Amino acid sequence: MYTSRGKDAVVDPDGYGEPSPELAASRRQVLAFLGAFGLTAPTASLIAAIDAGISRASAQAAAGQPVPRLSVYTPNWPDMVELWRQLSRDWAPLGIDLDVQQGTLDTFVSQIVAEQKLPHLGSMSWGGAPDRLDPDYFISEMFHSRRAIKGGLNFGLYKSETFDKAADAQRQAMDPAERQKLVRQAQELMVEDSPSLILYHRDIIHAYNKKRFKGVKPILGNGIGFPYMPLAYMDIEALIPRKVLRLTSIYDIASLNPFQTPEIYNSTTLRLIYATFVTRDEKAEVMPWALHSWNVVDKTTVDIVLRPNTKFHDGKPATVEDVKFTFDFILKHKFPAMGRITDAVESAEISGDNTVRLKLKQPSAPFVANVLGYAFLAPKHIWENTPANLATPADWPNDKPVGSGPWKLVEWRKGEYIQFAANKDFYMPPKLDGFIAAVVPQMESMVGMLERGDSDMLAWNLDMTLGARISQNPDLEVVRTPTHGQHEVRLNLTMPPCNNRAFRHALQHATDRKKILDIIFSGAGVVSRGAPITPALEAWTSPNIKGFEPSIDKAKAVLSSAGFTWNAQGKLVMPS
Amino acid sequence: MGFLSYAGRRAAHTAVTLILLLVFMFVLFRLIPGDPTTLLLGTGELTLEAQQRLRAQWGLDQSMLEQFVAYCRNLLSGELGLSFYYRRPVTEVIAPMLVNTLILMVPVVVFAIGAGIAIGTWLGWRRGERVEELGAVLVLIPRALPVFWTGIVFLSLFAYKLQWFPIGGIREAFFYPEAWYQFLPYYDVLRHLVLPIATGVLASMADPLMIMRTSLIEVRDEEFMVLARARGLTTRSLQRLARRSAFLPVLTYSAIMVGFAFGGQVLLEVVFTWPGMGRLMVNSVTQRDYPVAQAAFFLMAAVVVMLNLLVDLLYGWLDPRIRHE
Repeated sequence: MYTSRGKDAVVDPDGYGEPSPELAASRRQVLAFLGAFGLTAPTASLIAAIDAGISRASAQAAAGQPVPRLSVYTPNWPDMVELWRQLSRDWAPLGIDLDVQQGTLDTFVSQIVAEQKLPHLGSMSWGGAPDRLDPDYFISEMFHSRRAIKGGLNFGLYKSETFDKAADAQRQAMDPAERQKLVRQAQELMVEDSPSLILYHRDIIHAYNKKRFKGVKPILGNGIGFPYMPLAYMDIEALIPRKVLRLTSIYDIASLNPFQTPEIYNSTTLRLIYATFVTRDEKAEVMPWALHSWNVVDKTTVDIVLRPNTKFHDGKPATVEDVKFTFDFILKHKFPAMGRITDAVESAEISGDNTVRLKLKQPSAPFVANVLGYAFLAPKHIWENTPANLATPADWPNDKPVGSGPWKLVEWRKGEYIQFAANKDFYMPPKLDGFIAAVVPQMESMVGMLERGDSDMLAWNLDMTLGARISQNPDLEVVRTPTHGQHEVRLNLTMPPCNNRAFRHALQHATDRKKILDIIFSGAGVVSRGAPITPALEAWTSPNIKGFEPSIDKAKAVLSSAGFTWNAQGKLVMPS
Repeated sequence: MGFLSYAGRRAAHTAVTLILLLVFMFVLFRLIPGDPTTLLLGTGELTLEAQQRLRAQWGLDQSMLEQFVAYCRNLLSGELGLSFYYRRPVTEVIAPMLVNTLILMVPVVVFAIGAGIAIGTWLGWRRGERVEELGAVLVLIPRALPVFWTGIVFLSLFAYKLQWFPIGGIREAFFYPEAWYQFLPYYDVLRHLVLPIATGVLASMADPLMIMRTSLIEVRDEEFMVLARARGLTTRSLQRLARRSAFLPVLTYSAIMVGFAFGGQVLLEVVFTWPGMGRLMVNSVTQRDYPVAQAAFFLMAAVVVMLNLLVDLLYGWLDPRIRHE
């Protein structure tokens, strides 16, 4: 069905269905044995179920035969479980039965992403990380055939040369108007092929104590409390003598070394200390941060100008030497967490008083937003002196991080809290004196702490029920912010009937996104028209994408015209 | 002489058990699908090329045998390796969590065993009376309730409604004492301890209690007790005598309890936001942080095994009926 192209196309649809039987059997035995001790039981049975589902499905779905039960794998989050309860009901009139398996996120990732074992369908949600604001992520990372490899996010194995061309073209288009056109075009192609049912962009719901603090700034994809966008905390002001905000979060960081981890929560938290070169403003537009300005000289040359009078937290001035050092250091050590920088930057040379000229490996439209928005200014005098006995400077604990960002680290107690003090020398000094992010692994405790006044801000995604309860408290304010993150149902395009475009279109019509969003999230979000990028980002949204009218009749009509029929029991039958 | 050879044999058994445990732990966590780099990959935070580099850097591209040899070599030089997730020595990752866990679990175990022995004796002595039947049911109720449920009930009552205690955590990030008693040393940690300890004791005291009760019932009618009663000892002295012999099975059980205490109580820790071993162990398995998971589970298992050895050796001294021949 799909021909191999180049070394990336390692997927072999024929050899895909059946894992080596001995290997699968022996692994299952071992896991079942361990399961007897209660150690791995859910995972073992799940893997067995996924394996069995895939091999069963590839044997069925022959022409003129009834469509097999569709196997589904979903993370076991309550909203996802509810989603499938709805879809099973909504799709039943089409004569489709679902067999839904649920498990933990790590099983999802290790089986479906890393091992490419998506059964017919799988559901996933993608958070609003800053780098996903650039359209390249939801277009190229998720749907380019280059990423249809083990570990790639195109785990539905969508392969279309036309789409690939459009995706590549938008990535290289340095002219904004041209890029806008190409991004819209790529999405139109993707919606037409429907390799995924993009459902909705669920709002981020945070809450804070408005009697104590003001000046919160909701930012797309970040809400008021996530650390993804450093601008979110900058204008918060205390209405009480304590000028230190206490917020609660489920996550904790793992490391204080910004070169070590690419994990979003950890890396963005550290970037409050280490200012990135650029950041995003309230409208999610790119703005300079550690930089004074930048200039795209040509397709592969970018000049960056350091903000004058920048100081590191230890009082030493930051110079253009530090900027050059930062890139040289990353290129030299090839830190895995810095992959997107090593992939993009060829070299960095001082080319003026305060200017460094970056040479890129290839033209890259997302470069400024995603590379300069991820790379940060590192002090040369500290990082050139890390202990020589380490395998890599990424293993250095960096217990006293020295950056140039708006916040200085006061204390990190693993599993308890991380505390920051304002860096009043930053060009845009924070209005607070500091803030503490406490780690609270339980939503109920977070809500209780906010209601009792133990915390001032709940910086984790609430659901509307808890939001409604919190908003009854006159001291507290619930803030809803749209996000560019999205929820989707991915289809495995190598598994019949999901390889049939009409079938996918029928599912698009049979999925009433608005109804589901209303039921699961009390309508707090934006319904998708099928494109992966939220309509809230108007510049990237094509007016030609009108969405799929939710209608079972329409879905049936689409199926009929593609040759699908129904048998006496009302079950869908493959075209003959 | 008999004792020495017995002790030697038991010690050898223990050593073999520990070595097997070490191997088992090593293999076990590596059987779970995925490795420490997988989760980062799947959430799109690591490029594939970077993942390969990372796996090579962390030695995950080697065979399991090669990894095991490297691990043993590290162990022999007294090192548990680096945590994949924290990139710090495993001891540095575990030590603070272990301290937190012991702060919570030592009182839980001490109170649970203490209360278990006292109430168990009391109930056992009243074998057949109404109060004994009722008591046995009463102590089993909290044992049957899930610990997180009891915890949430305590929280909603004593922390939300009455606001006597904090909602969770081990201390306040900022604590300003106001009243005089708040200046007492460790006041802040102590008030954070009350609810989790109460919950833990309620849930875990039933086991030693029921063992004590059963054991006491058996001992009560032994010949030496009949003799003691015939000698006209007071009820108090009789009880003390019975308790001394009935206590031995509880001691064995305590060794297991203490061992598991080292692993913390993950449900208790989540409900009370306690940063301890339980949460660390669960996280390290989810994150496939093999070195931390291995060390933490091994620590827990090793404490159980070692305490069992100790109890076995102590038995001869505690119980004159046992002879090593």
